[in-house]
Amino acid sequence: MWKKEDVKSQGLPENGPGISTGSPAIGSVPRPPSTSVPVSAGASACISQGIRIKGEVTGTEDLFIDGHLEGKVNLSSGSLTVGPNGEVKADIFAREVIVRGRVDGRIVGREMIQLWSTGNVAGDLQTERLTIEDGAVLRGRVEIETGKPIDKHTEARAAVAGTGKGGVVSVSSGSAAV
Amino acid sequence: MSFLNKLGIGVGAGAGAGARRDAPITMGGSARPRSNTPAPVAAVGAARAPELRESNRVSNGLKEFLWNLDGLGRGTLLDLGPAWQTTLSFFIERGFRVSSEDLLRAWKDFLVEEEGKLREATGRAAQHTLDVTPAARAARFLEANLQYPNSSFDAVLLWDVLDYLEPVVCKQMVANLTELLRPGGVVFAMFHSKKPAGFQRYRVVDSTTLQVISSPVLCPAQRVYQNREIQDLFGRYRTMKSFVGRDQLRESLFIK
Repeated sequence: MWKKEDVKSQGLPENGPGISTGSPAIGSVPRPPSTSVPVSAGASACISQGIRIKGEVTGTEDLFIDGHLEGKVNLSSGSLTVGPNGEVKADIFAREVIVRGRVDGRIVGREMIQLWSTGNVAGDLQTERLTIEDGAVLRGRVEIETGKPIDKHTEARAAVAGTGKGGVVSVSSGSAAV
Repeated sequence: MSFLNKLGIGVGAGAGAGARRDAPITMGGSARPRSNTPAPVAAVGAARAPELRESNRVSNGLKEFLWNLDGLGRGTLLDLGPAWQTTLSFFIERGFRVSSEDLLRAWKDFLVEEEGKLREATGRAAQHTLDVTPAARAARFLEANLQYPNSSFDAVLLWDVLDYLEPVVCKQMVANLTELLRPGGVVFAMFHSKKPAGFQRYRVVDSTTLQVISSPVLCPAQRVYQNREIQDLFGRYRTMKSFVGRDQLRESLFIK
Protein backbone atom coordinates (compact mmCIF):
# COMPACT_ATOMS: atom_id res chain seq x y z
CA MET A 1 0.00 0.00 0.00
CA TRP A 2 2.57 2.53 1.13
CA LYS A 3 5.04 1.58 -1.56
CA LYS A 4 2.48 1.99 -4.33
CA GLU A 5 1.71 5.52 -3.23
CA ASP A 6 5.41 6.35 -3.05
CA VAL A 7 5.94 5.29 -6.65
CA LYS A 8 2.97 7.31 -7.83
CA SER A 9 4.08 10.43 -6.01
CA GLN A 10 7.40 10.42 -7.86
CA GLY A 11 5.62 10.90 -11.15
CA LEU A 12 7.58 8.18 -12.87
CA PRO A 13 6.29 6.27 -15.86
CA GLU A 14 4.08 3.31 -15.16
CA ASN A 15 6.55 0.83 -16.58
CA GLY A 16 9.25 1.75 -14.13
CA PRO A 17 11.93 4.32 -13.51
CA GLY A 18 15.10 4.76 -15.48
CA ILE A 19 15.49 2.94 -18.75
CA SER A 20 12.81 0.43 -19.35
CA THR A 21 11.43 -1.29 -22.38
CA GLY A 22 8.35 -3.29 -23.17
CA SER A 23 5.17 -3.03 -25.10
CA PRO A 24 2.85 -0.17 -24.33
CA ALA A 25 -0.03 -0.83 -22.03
CA ILE A 26 -2.92 -1.46 -24.38
CA GLY A 27 -6.16 0.11 -23.30
CA SER A 28 -4.60 1.99 -20.45
CA VAL A 29 -5.94 5.43 -19.69
CA PRO A 30 -3.48 8.20 -20.60
CA ARG A 31 -2.02 9.76 -17.46
CA PRO A 32 -2.65 13.42 -16.79
CA PRO A 33 0.47 15.52 -17.36
CA SER A 34 2.68 15.61 -14.30
CA THR A 35 4.41 18.84 -13.37
CA SER A 36 7.58 17.15 -12.20
CA VAL A 37 8.30 14.53 -14.84
CA PRO A 38 6.00 14.73 -17.82
CA VAL A 39 5.93 11.47 -19.66
CA SER A 40 4.85 10.78 -23.18
CA ALA A 41 1.82 8.54 -22.92
CA GLY A 42 2.67 6.58 -26.03
CA ALA A 43 6.36 6.03 -25.34
CA SER A 44 7.21 2.48 -24.39
CA ALA A 45 10.75 3.22 -23.28
CA CYS A 46 11.84 6.09 -21.14
CA ILE A 47 15.05 7.73 -20.02
CA SER A 48 13.89 9.67 -17.03
CA GLN A 49 15.13 12.91 -15.61
CA GLY A 50 18.38 12.43 -13.74
CA ILE A 51 19.59 9.60 -15.96
CA ARG A 52 22.71 10.22 -18.06
CA ILE A 53 23.63 8.06 -21.01
CA LYS A 54 26.67 8.25 -23.23
CA GLY A 55 26.66 6.10 -26.33
CA GLU A 56 24.39 4.90 -29.07
CA VAL A 57 20.73 4.12 -28.58
CA THR A 58 19.22 1.92 -31.26
CA GLY A 59 15.80 0.36 -31.48
CA THR A 60 12.44 0.19 -33.14
CA GLU A 61 10.26 1.14 -30.17
CA ASP A 62 9.16 4.62 -29.22
CA LEU A 63 11.41 6.41 -26.77
CA PHE A 64 10.94 9.28 -24.35
CA ILE A 65 14.02 11.09 -23.10
CA ASP A 66 13.75 13.44 -20.16
CA GLY A 67 17.33 12.95 -19.02
CA HIS A 68 20.72 13.53 -20.65
CA LEU A 69 21.90 11.61 -23.65
CA GLU A 70 25.12 12.06 -25.55
CA GLY A 71 26.00 10.04 -28.62
CA LYS A 72 23.58 8.87 -31.26
CA VAL A 73 19.91 7.89 -31.41
CA ASN A 74 18.63 5.62 -34.14
CA LEU A 75 14.99 4.57 -33.95
CA SER A 76 14.32 3.38 -37.46
CA SER A 77 10.58 3.03 -37.09
CA GLY A 78 10.01 4.53 -33.70
CA SER A 79 9.14 7.91 -32.41
CA LEU A 80 11.41 9.94 -30.15
CA THR A 81 10.15 12.52 -27.71
CA VAL A 82 12.62 14.75 -25.94
CA GLY A 83 10.87 15.90 -22.79
CA PRO A 84 11.02 19.40 -21.33
CA ASN A 85 13.91 18.40 -19.07
CA GLY A 86 15.65 16.37 -21.73
CA GLU A 87 19.06 17.32 -23.09
CA VAL A 88 20.25 15.38 -26.08
CA LYS A 89 23.63 15.91 -27.68
CA ALA A 90 23.29 13.52 -30.53
CA ASP A 91 22.33 13.04 -34.12
CA ILE A 92 18.82 11.65 -34.13
CA PHE A 93 17.28 9.38 -36.73
CA ALA A 94 13.67 8.38 -36.14
CA ARG A 95 10.31 8.14 -37.79
CA GLU A 96 8.92 10.98 -35.71
CA VAL A 97 10.71 13.39 -33.44
CA ILE A 98 9.05 15.65 -30.91
CA VAL A 99 11.27 18.18 -29.17
CA ARG A 100 10.15 19.79 -25.94
CA GLY A 101 13.63 20.08 -24.45
CA ARG A 102 17.09 20.72 -25.83
CA VAL A 103 18.73 18.97 -28.75
CA ASP A 104 22.21 19.65 -29.99
CA GLY A 105 22.65 17.70 -33.19
CA ARG A 106 21.12 16.84 -36.51
CA ILE A 107 17.57 15.55 -36.49
CA VAL A 108 16.18 13.35 -39.21
CA GLY A 109 12.51 12.70 -38.55
CA ARG A 110 11.48 10.68 -41.55
CA GLU A 111 7.80 11.48 -41.31
CA MET A 112 7.58 14.41 -38.95
CA ILE A 113 9.40 16.75 -36.60
CA GLN A 114 7.61 18.86 -34.03
CA LEU A 115 9.26 21.63 -32.04
CA TRP A 116 7.20 22.65 -29.05
CA SER A 117 7.41 26.09 -27.51
CA THR A 118 9.96 24.89 -24.97
CA GLY A 119 12.03 23.15 -27.63
CA ASN A 120 15.52 24.34 -28.42
CA VAL A 121 17.39 22.79 -31.33
CA ALA A 122 20.88 23.55 -32.52
CA GLY A 123 21.29 21.44 -35.62
CA ASP A 124 19.86 20.75 -39.03
CA LEU A 125 16.38 19.32 -39.46
CA GLN A 126 15.40 16.93 -42.20
CA THR A 127 11.85 15.69 -42.50
CA GLU A 128 8.71 15.51 -44.60
CA ARG A 129 6.59 17.55 -42.22
CA LEU A 130 7.70 20.16 -39.76
CA THR A 131 5.68 21.87 -37.08
CA ILE A 132 7.10 24.69 -35.01
CA GLU A 133 5.26 26.15 -32.08
CA ASP A 134 5.74 29.83 -31.24
CA GLY A 135 8.60 30.22 -28.83
CA ALA A 136 10.63 27.29 -30.08
CA VAL A 137 14.26 28.06 -30.78
CA LEU A 138 15.93 26.69 -33.88
CA ARG A 139 19.43 27.23 -35.04
CA GLY A 140 20.04 25.24 -38.15
CA ARG A 141 18.96 24.38 -41.62
CA VAL A 142 15.55 23.02 -42.46
CA GLU A 143 15.24 20.50 -45.24
CA ILE A 144 11.80 19.37 -46.22
CA GLU A 145 12.01 16.31 -48.39
CA THR A 146 9.73 16.74 -51.32
CA GLY A 147 11.54 15.02 -54.13
CA LYS A 148 13.35 12.19 -52.46
CA PRO A 149 13.84 8.98 -54.40
CA ILE A 150 11.05 6.57 -53.56
CA ASP A 151 11.67 3.04 -52.45
CA LYS A 152 9.41 0.11 -53.29
CA HIS A 153 7.37 0.52 -50.10
CA THR A 154 6.63 4.15 -50.80
CA GLU A 155 5.88 3.40 -54.41
CA ALA A 156 3.40 0.71 -53.44
CA ARG A 157 1.71 2.97 -50.91
CA ALA A 158 1.52 5.78 -53.45
CA ALA A 159 -0.06 3.46 -55.98
CA VAL A 160 -2.67 2.36 -53.47
CA ALA A 161 -3.41 5.89 -52.39
CA GLY A 162 -3.37 7.12 -55.93
CA THR A 163 -0.86 9.82 -55.20
CA GLY A 164 2.25 10.84 -57.01
CA LYS A 165 5.73 10.76 -55.62
CA GLY A 166 7.08 13.28 -53.19
CA GLY A 167 6.40 14.05 -49.60
CA VAL A 168 4.10 16.61 -48.12
CA VAL A 169 5.45 20.08 -47.55
CA SER A 170 3.42 20.57 -44.51
CA VAL A 171 4.07 23.13 -42.31
CA SER A 172 0.69 23.70 -40.98
CA SER A 173 0.12 26.91 -39.16
CA GLY A 174 -0.74 27.06 -35.51
CA SER A 175 0.59 25.26 -32.53
CA ALA A 176 2.14 21.89 -32.34
CA ALA A 177 -0.17 20.42 -29.79
CA VAL A 178 -0.75 16.73 -30.30
CA MET B 1 2.31 56.50 -25.92
CA SER B 2 3.42 58.03 -29.20
CA PHE B 3 1.35 60.46 -31.18
CA LEU B 4 0.80 57.90 -33.91
CA ASN B 5 -0.47 55.41 -31.39
CA LYS B 6 -2.90 57.98 -30.04
CA LEU B 7 -4.19 58.37 -33.57
CA GLY B 8 -4.53 54.64 -33.80
CA ILE B 9 -2.08 54.25 -36.67
CA GLY B 10 1.01 53.44 -34.70
CA VAL B 11 2.71 50.11 -34.36
CA GLY B 12 0.50 47.45 -32.89
CA ALA B 13 -2.76 49.20 -33.66
CA GLY B 14 -3.73 47.05 -36.59
CA ALA B 15 -6.70 44.84 -37.19
CA GLY B 16 -4.99 41.72 -35.94
CA ALA B 17 -4.58 43.12 -32.47
CA GLY B 18 -5.92 41.32 -29.50
CA ALA B 19 -3.95 38.12 -29.34
CA ARG B 20 -2.13 38.33 -26.03
CA ARG B 21 1.32 36.91 -25.57
CA ASP B 22 2.49 35.06 -22.51
CA ALA B 23 5.17 37.45 -21.39
CA PRO B 24 4.80 41.18 -21.11
CA ILE B 25 6.91 43.81 -22.77
CA THR B 26 9.15 46.23 -20.90
CA MET B 27 8.76 49.69 -22.29
CA GLY B 28 11.50 52.29 -22.29
CA GLY B 29 9.09 55.01 -21.18
CA SER B 30 7.70 53.17 -18.20
CA ALA B 31 8.86 53.63 -14.65
CA ARG B 32 9.94 50.01 -14.51
CA PRO B 33 13.70 49.44 -14.78
CA ARG B 34 14.81 47.76 -17.96
CA SER B 35 15.46 44.13 -17.44
CA ASN B 36 16.01 41.04 -19.53
CA THR B 37 13.64 39.00 -17.45
CA PRO B 38 9.98 39.53 -18.14
CA ALA B 39 8.29 41.46 -15.39
CA PRO B 40 4.63 41.53 -14.53
CA VAL B 41 2.64 44.21 -16.29
CA ALA B 42 2.00 47.31 -14.23
CA ALA B 43 -1.53 48.37 -14.97
CA VAL B 44 -1.62 51.67 -13.18
CA GLY B 45 -2.14 55.12 -14.70
CA ALA B 46 0.41 56.52 -17.09
CA ALA B 47 2.92 53.77 -16.34
CA ARG B 48 0.57 51.14 -17.70
CA ALA B 49 2.33 48.87 -20.13
CA PRO B 50 0.63 48.65 -23.48
CA GLU B 51 -1.33 45.57 -24.32
CA LEU B 52 0.84 42.99 -25.98
CA ARG B 53 -0.45 42.22 -29.39
CA GLU B 54 0.09 41.24 -32.94
CA SER B 55 -0.71 43.42 -35.88
CA ASN B 56 -0.29 43.21 -39.60
CA ARG B 57 1.53 45.70 -41.75
CA VAL B 58 1.81 45.91 -45.50
CA SER B 59 5.41 45.39 -46.50
CA ASN B 60 6.58 46.78 -49.80
CA GLY B 61 10.09 45.71 -48.87
CA LEU B 62 9.03 42.09 -48.63
CA LYS B 63 7.19 42.35 -51.93
CA GLU B 64 10.31 43.71 -53.61
CA PHE B 65 12.47 41.11 -51.86
CA LEU B 66 10.32 38.31 -53.27
CA TRP B 67 10.29 39.93 -56.68
CA ASN B 68 14.08 39.86 -56.66
CA LEU B 69 14.09 36.19 -55.75
CA ASP B 70 11.45 35.27 -58.30
CA GLY B 71 12.59 32.58 -60.68
CA LEU B 72 15.51 31.59 -58.52
CA GLY B 73 14.21 28.04 -58.19
CA ARG B 74 15.62 26.14 -55.25
CA GLY B 75 17.30 29.02 -53.48
CA THR B 76 18.83 29.21 -50.04
CA LEU B 77 17.61 31.60 -47.41
CA LEU B 78 19.04 32.60 -44.06
CA ASP B 79 16.45 33.83 -41.58
CA LEU B 80 18.04 35.71 -38.70
CA GLY B 81 14.79 36.09 -36.77
CA PRO B 82 13.01 33.55 -34.59
CA ALA B 83 11.92 30.31 -36.21
CA TRP B 84 8.29 31.05 -36.97
CA GLN B 85 6.23 28.35 -38.57
CA THR B 86 4.55 30.76 -40.98
CA THR B 87 7.79 32.32 -42.21
CA LEU B 88 9.52 29.01 -42.71
CA SER B 89 6.52 27.48 -44.47
CA PHE B 90 6.16 30.49 -46.69
CA PHE B 91 9.67 30.12 -48.06
CA ILE B 92 9.85 26.32 -47.98
CA GLU B 93 6.67 26.10 -50.02
CA ARG B 94 8.35 28.33 -52.56
CA GLY B 95 11.20 25.88 -52.86
CA PHE B 96 13.73 27.56 -50.61
CA ARG B 97 16.08 25.73 -48.32
CA VAL B 98 15.90 27.72 -45.16
CA SER B 99 18.45 28.13 -42.39
CA SER B 100 17.27 29.74 -39.21
CA GLU B 101 19.33 31.46 -36.56
CA ASP B 102 17.78 33.80 -34.03
CA LEU B 103 20.64 36.25 -33.84
CA LEU B 104 19.22 38.49 -31.13
CA ARG B 105 18.58 35.54 -28.86
CA ALA B 106 22.12 34.38 -29.55
CA TRP B 107 23.39 37.87 -28.73
CA LYS B 108 21.50 37.90 -25.46
CA ASP B 109 22.80 34.46 -24.52
CA PHE B 110 26.30 35.57 -25.49
CA LEU B 111 26.09 38.63 -23.24
CA VAL B 112 24.92 36.53 -20.31
CA GLU B 113 27.76 34.10 -20.91
CA GLU B 114 30.28 36.94 -21.17
CA GLU B 115 29.06 38.38 -17.90
CA GLY B 116 29.58 35.03 -16.25
CA LYS B 117 33.07 34.72 -17.69
CA LEU B 118 33.91 38.23 -16.54
CA ARG B 119 32.69 37.52 -13.03
CA GLU B 120 34.73 34.35 -12.99
CA ALA B 121 37.82 36.16 -14.21
CA THR B 122 37.33 38.91 -11.62
CA GLY B 123 36.99 36.29 -8.94
CA ARG B 124 40.32 34.86 -9.94
CA ALA B 125 41.80 38.37 -10.11
CA ALA B 126 42.80 37.74 -13.68
CA GLN B 127 40.83 40.32 -15.59
CA HIS B 128 43.54 40.61 -18.19
CA THR B 129 42.69 37.17 -19.52
CA LEU B 130 39.37 38.40 -20.97
CA ASP B 131 39.52 41.18 -23.54
CA VAL B 132 36.34 43.17 -22.97
CA THR B 133 36.78 45.76 -25.72
CA PRO B 134 33.81 45.94 -28.11
CA ALA B 135 35.96 44.74 -31.00
CA ALA B 136 37.14 41.66 -29.11
CA ARG B 137 33.60 40.95 -27.98
CA ALA B 138 32.33 41.26 -31.54
CA ALA B 139 34.99 38.85 -32.73
CA ARG B 140 34.07 36.32 -30.03
CA PHE B 141 30.36 36.60 -30.85
CA LEU B 142 30.88 36.11 -34.55
CA GLU B 143 33.23 33.21 -34.00
CA ALA B 144 30.33 31.34 -32.44
CA ASN B 145 27.58 32.54 -34.79
CA LEU B 146 26.90 32.90 -38.50
CA GLN B 147 29.26 30.07 -39.27
CA TYR B 148 28.38 29.09 -42.80
CA PRO B 149 30.47 28.56 -45.92
CA ASN B 150 31.03 31.60 -48.11
CA SER B 151 28.51 32.26 -50.89
CA SER B 152 26.03 29.80 -49.41
CA PHE B 153 22.89 31.97 -49.44
CA ASP B 154 20.79 33.69 -52.05
CA ALA B 155 18.82 35.73 -49.56
CA VAL B 156 19.00 36.91 -45.97
CA LEU B 157 16.17 38.07 -43.75
CA LEU B 158 17.96 40.40 -41.38
CA TRP B 159 14.82 42.06 -39.95
CA ASP B 160 15.69 44.87 -37.47
CA VAL B 161 18.54 42.97 -35.84
CA LEU B 162 21.12 45.70 -36.49
CA ASP B 163 19.27 48.22 -34.32
CA TYR B 164 19.86 45.99 -31.29
CA LEU B 165 23.48 45.02 -31.73
CA GLU B 166 26.52 47.00 -30.69
CA PRO B 167 27.77 49.10 -33.63
CA VAL B 168 31.08 47.22 -33.78
CA VAL B 169 29.24 43.91 -33.97
CA CYS B 170 26.95 45.32 -36.67
CA LYS B 171 29.82 46.38 -38.85
CA GLN B 172 31.59 43.07 -38.55
CA MET B 173 28.38 41.12 -38.97
CA VAL B 174 27.37 42.90 -42.16
CA ALA B 175 30.85 42.20 -43.53
CA ASN B 176 30.41 38.51 -42.68
CA LEU B 177 26.93 38.43 -44.23
CA THR B 178 28.32 39.88 -47.41
CA GLU B 179 30.70 36.94 -47.61
CA LEU B 180 27.88 34.48 -47.02
CA LEU B 181 25.79 35.89 -49.86
CA ARG B 182 26.22 34.82 -53.43
CA PRO B 183 26.70 37.57 -56.03
CA GLY B 184 23.23 38.92 -56.77
CA GLY B 185 22.01 37.83 -53.34
CA VAL B 186 19.49 39.98 -51.49
CA VAL B 187 19.32 41.18 -47.88
CA PHE B 188 16.05 42.37 -46.39
CA ALA B 189 16.62 44.60 -43.38
CA MET B 190 14.56 46.97 -41.29
CA PHE B 191 15.65 50.05 -39.39
CA HIS B 192 13.73 52.08 -36.86
CA SER B 193 13.56 55.80 -37.60
CA LYS B 194 13.22 56.45 -33.88
CA LYS B 195 14.50 54.45 -30.97
CA PRO B 196 11.87 51.72 -30.64
CA ALA B 197 9.70 51.94 -27.55
CA GLY B 198 9.17 48.20 -27.35
CA PHE B 199 10.57 45.04 -28.79
CA GLN B 200 9.03 43.40 -31.79
CA ARG B 201 9.53 40.33 -33.87
CA TYR B 202 8.24 39.85 -37.38
CA ARG B 203 6.85 37.01 -39.38
CA VAL B 204 5.70 36.62 -42.93
CA VAL B 205 1.95 36.29 -43.40
CA ASP B 206 1.87 36.47 -47.18
CA SER B 207 3.88 37.99 -49.99
CA THR B 208 2.97 41.56 -49.04
CA THR B 209 2.16 41.33 -45.35
CA LEU B 210 4.24 41.04 -42.22
CA GLN B 211 2.92 40.32 -38.78
CA VAL B 212 4.43 42.50 -36.08
CA ILE B 213 4.53 40.74 -32.72
CA SER B 214 5.24 42.51 -29.47
CA SER B 215 7.66 40.39 -27.49
CA PRO B 216 9.54 40.52 -24.21
CA VAL B 217 12.68 42.61 -24.59
CA LEU B 218 15.63 40.43 -25.46
CA CYS B 219 18.11 43.28 -25.65
CA PRO B 220 17.73 47.06 -25.66
CA ALA B 221 17.98 49.05 -28.87
CA GLN B 222 21.48 50.38 -29.34
CA ARG B 223 21.13 53.14 -31.86
CA VAL B 224 19.11 54.64 -34.69
CA TYR B 225 20.91 54.47 -38.00
CA GLN B 226 20.76 57.39 -40.40
CA ASN B 227 20.61 56.78 -44.15
CA ARG B 228 24.26 57.69 -44.63
CA GLU B 229 25.33 55.22 -41.93
CA ILE B 230 23.24 52.47 -43.51
CA GLN B 231 24.82 53.16 -46.87
CA ASP B 232 28.25 52.96 -45.29
CA LEU B 233 27.42 49.69 -43.56
CA PHE B 234 26.28 48.14 -46.84
CA GLY B 235 28.86 49.90 -48.99
CA ARG B 236 29.87 46.69 -50.76
CA TYR B 237 26.37 46.12 -52.12
CA ARG B 238 25.55 47.37 -55.57
CA THR B 239 21.95 48.37 -54.99
CA MET B 240 20.04 49.71 -52.04
CA LYS B 241 16.32 50.42 -51.99
CA SER B 242 14.33 51.73 -49.02
CA PHE B 243 10.67 51.95 -48.13
CA VAL B 244 9.61 54.22 -45.31
CA GLY B 245 6.56 53.21 -43.36
CA ARG B 246 4.22 55.28 -41.24
CA ASP B 247 5.18 53.20 -38.22
CA GLN B 248 8.74 54.57 -38.03
CA LEU B 249 10.16 51.53 -39.77
CA ARG B 250 12.33 51.73 -42.84
CA GLU B 251 12.50 48.57 -44.90
CA SER B 252 15.64 48.23 -46.98
CA LEU B 253 16.81 45.87 -49.66
CA PHE B 254 20.45 45.39 -50.48
CA ILE B 255 21.57 43.49 -53.54
CA LYS B 256 25.13 42.21 -53.68
